[in-house]
Amino acid sequence: MSRAAPRDRRRDRREPPATDASDQEPVDIPRKAARLRIPPGYLVNRLLTLLLTIWIAATLIWIIPRLSPVDPADIMLGRMAAGAGAVQDADRILDQLRESFGLNDPLIVQYVKYLRNIVLFDFGLSTATFPTKVSALIARALPWTLGLMVLSLLITFFIGNLLGALMVWSHSPKLVRIAIPAAMVFTSIPPILSGLLLMWIFAAKLQWFPLAGAYGLTVEPGWDWAFAASVLHHGFLPALSIVIVTFGFWALGMRGMMITVQGEDYVRLAEAKGLRPRTVLYGYMIRNAILPQITAFALKIGLLVAGQVLVERIFAYNGMGKLLYDAILDQDFPVIQGVSYVIILMTALAVFLVDLAYPLIDPRIRHGSDG
Amino acid sequence: MTEPGHPDGGSRIHETAGVPGTTAETVHTGSGRNRGRGGPVDSMTGRPVLTLRELSVDFPTPQGVVQAVRKLSLDVRLGRRVGFVGESGSGKTTTALAIMRMLADPGHVSGGTIDLGGVDMLKLSEEDMRLARLSRVAYIPQGAMNSLNPVMRVEQQLWDAISAHEGRRNRKELMRRSDEALDSVGLHPRTGRLHPHELSGGMKQRVCIALGMILRPELIIADEPTSALDVVTQRQVMQTLREAQALAGSGLILIGHDMGLMAQSVDELAVLRQGELVEYGDIRRILGNPGHPYTRALISSVPLVGGKSFLRPSSAREAPGSRRPAPLLTFDRVSKVYGKLTALHPLSFTLRGDVPKIISIVGQSGSGKSTLGSIVLGFTHPTAGAVRFEGRDLRRAGAAGKLGFRRDVQAVLQDPYACFNPFYRVRHALAYPYRRFGLARDEAHIRQRMEEVCRTVGLDPDLVLPRYPHQLSGGQRQRLIVARALMLSPKLLVADEPVSMVDASLRATILSNIYDLKDRFGISILYITHDLATAYHVSDYVMVLYRGRVVEAGPPGQVIGNPEHPYTRLLVDSIPWPDPDRPWGGSAGPEPAADHAHVADAPFAYRGSVEGFELVTR
Repeated sequence: MSRAAPRDRRRDRREPPATDASDQEPVDIPRKAARLRIPPGYLVNRLLTLLLTIWIAATLIWIIPRLSPVDPADIMLGRMAAGAGAVQDADRILDQLRESFGLNDPLIVQYVKYLRNIVLFDFGLSTATFPTKVSALIARALPWTLGLMVLSLLITFFIGNLLGALMVWSHSPKLVRIAIPAAMVFTSIPPILSGLLLMWIFAAKLQWFPLAGAYGLTVEPGWDWAFAASVLHHGFLPALSIVIVTFGFWALGMRGMMITVQGEDYVRLAEAKGLRPRTVLYGYMIRNAILPQITAFALKIGLLVAGQVLVERIFAYNGMGKLLYDAILDQDFPVIQGVSYVIILMTALAVFLVDLAYPLIDPRIRHGSDG
Repeated sequence: MTEPGHPDGGSRIHETAGVPGTTAETVHTGSGRNRGRGGPVDSMTGRPVLTLRELSVDFPTPQGVVQAVRKLSLDVRLGRRVGFVGESGSGKTTTALAIMRMLADPGHVSGGTIDLGGVDMLKLSEEDMRLARLSRVAYIPQGAMNSLNPVMRVEQQLWDAISAHEGRRNRKELMRRSDEALDSVGLHPRTGRLHPHELSGGMKQRVCIALGMILRPELIIADEPTSALDVVTQRQVMQTLREAQALAGSGLILIGHDMGLMAQSVDELAVLRQGELVEYGDIRRILGNPGHPYTRALISSVPLVGGKSFLRPSSAREAPGSRRPAPLLTFDRVSKVYGKLTALHPLSFTLRGDVPKIISIVGQSGSGKSTLGSIVLGFTHPTAGAVRFEGRDLRRAGAAGKLGFRRDVQAVLQDPYACFNPFYRVRHALAYPYRRFGLARDEAHIRQRMEEVCRTVGLDPDLVLPRYPHQLSGGQRQRLIVARALMLSPKLLVADEPVSMVDASLRATILSNIYDLKDRFGISILYITHDLATAYHVSDYVMVLYRGRVVEAGPPGQVIGNPEHPYTRLLVDSIPWPDPDRPWGGSAGPEPAADHAHVADAPFAYRGSVEGFELVTR
């Protein structure tokens, strides 16, 4: 960025003479369209970074389970034995299972196959719910998680940042300024406890909301009002428990940024301009304080799936978190790999999109071709 | 001024009203043309737009109430410019904020009245006060570098100001008015489409002036509007401000601490000290015959080219004349290129260091002088050429060589507020590098050394060492930075604008401290500045940098006392003199500007050499 300014200075000589002669300060007025265009070099650079991130992460996911002494074929056999009482020809079946999972191939072959497969979103078969495809399990769970998590993340982001800002704003009502820090207490409660508490109050005692599931057993999944209402009804408590627990993270981050922004000269000038206090709050203070929060938001998208495993578990919500939880219990490696891969993909994509969009929200950042 | 605390505002009105000023005519035309309110113009001439009576501002603190402003009474009349001058903490800005009713908690007006055009400002409701801001009294805050919202385009920041006072306006009208406002301060209307980071400091300051004027307020308060700008830009911005104010016919309060700038900019001067008005009256009278010793001190603190030196005559022994096997610092065709911009054209010089010298590098912002300093400090690597310190090429030096270089070359930088880690006490800041470089024998030795350097820069060690940086004033901090550099007994000191953020009255002291290092400790100094008057006094040799090239070099008496190159002349002429009769801008003629062809194409002027420093001229 610092290099861009002197460059502009050079082009200045062609500026129209209408500029006041005494003002030797150079101006290069970029056209708006030019500013918003993403340079191809930058895009390629970002895309390569994206692919590299995914590749490294995918490789790690592949290596880590292989460091474990547990043999998935053993586990499957054990499960079969537990179900049937005894298994005949155990060695032959073990061998067949190893063969069908490709565990007998040399590692490099397994790795290349793995890479090819994840590009096609093929994570093989689940060992716990054999022979269901992992991709099918994920496809079933993902919409629920995306719905619940993204919605609650958006709500948390909105509420947390607003409350954080109000904690600092000098025109906030006194009550707000006292109430918010008190509400922060919830942030220190682990999500399991707050979830259980909410369930106990609103589901068990008051019976306003259902205890478990993502939608009612009596409604048919489909794009109709009854189903949507059921989904919202079922999703409310899990979402609320997430919001209560996590808004403090945003509020505290926002509070810190607001304190910095509050002391900026442009906020003081905005006040001296006689702007309405609300205009100053939204257009000058929050607008600037929110910038680092947006980067944090992108990172949170991926982390949320992993972070809210227990919430889904408690509310028996059939999302990615529950899928991951069950898979870990069952040592179902293909599912763990698949879920981890999706989490990484989401995080990397979110960061990529924020990288591209950042110059739109902060004009000081420009797409540099050197990344 | 028999009663400094209670100046008789009323009698002063008569005194100053009698002085015929050119601005009076401007008020007539300006008011008649531009002013919608205010009634018949002729009878309104000289009407006080702001009347302060016995204004007091208190800041209650746990240690007791601090009276930031004490019983201040004065008038500002339409079309007149009043300067508020004084050191930091004298109550200048507090008074301005009290008028705007923007005092930071827990500050409050504890007594007196603020009357703006017949309205008691202290009785207005919050909403009425909001509407009065900008439309009746505009405040241009200090530090215009950050005064604009970085995520909004410039014109949007003018528009929201209009809308906040006049309700929604259609885009066409807003556009027309913002373009007009920018045009009135000499900016191309297209500047409005830019974001603040794309503007230079001078342009941002002009935008702030345009903003202050856009609703044609009766009173404008400009708080040190040019403190961050170099002399040339300062003069241009001040002229813009004066023209805009004269056109609108408003009253102007100019806050500052530079008597030279005041002399060139205002009609009346109010001298404040510790919240009290110690002197108030016509600028010519005050400058010609200052009544209060504090005013005299302020006036004499302005260093003048060709004037009496502010440096104490050196009482120290002769500089240690050690023979060095290799020159201290050598630049061998050193240049620096950023992308397409050449920040520094190939430059070669040798500083022997046998006899310590102070070399000044002067120029405007963007002339490449800070790049040069950064190369000397080893923070920036030259694009081409070699920098040799004591004969060793810095880039080829090993770890031990680099460490030695870090110890031998110390820096005093511009911002005394940002130079200390706020978490550590001063004691730690001074002792840490001393220990790290293995210079300390034991704790008592460190203690003794710290006390020694503190006394050298005129600070009481018992007072400053146990404190945290934020508990010290800017001047104290800047002296501590000199002390910290001194701890390591460096051979070369790079001082990059060491006094530009310090009160004028303290500048001389700090520069004296730096100057003493040369003779007492044999330290050579590279003094980087845009302030030619101080360079004139402290330096042995001056190099004038213009667009990365040395355009004039020689002893200060020659280069600054009698400049040859048109650019140097422009710099010298831009210095505001504390004499209202001396034209600001020097010789008559067309507006001097740094990009005129006669400046850019003028040949290099070599004005002589000094022993121990050789500039290689092609």
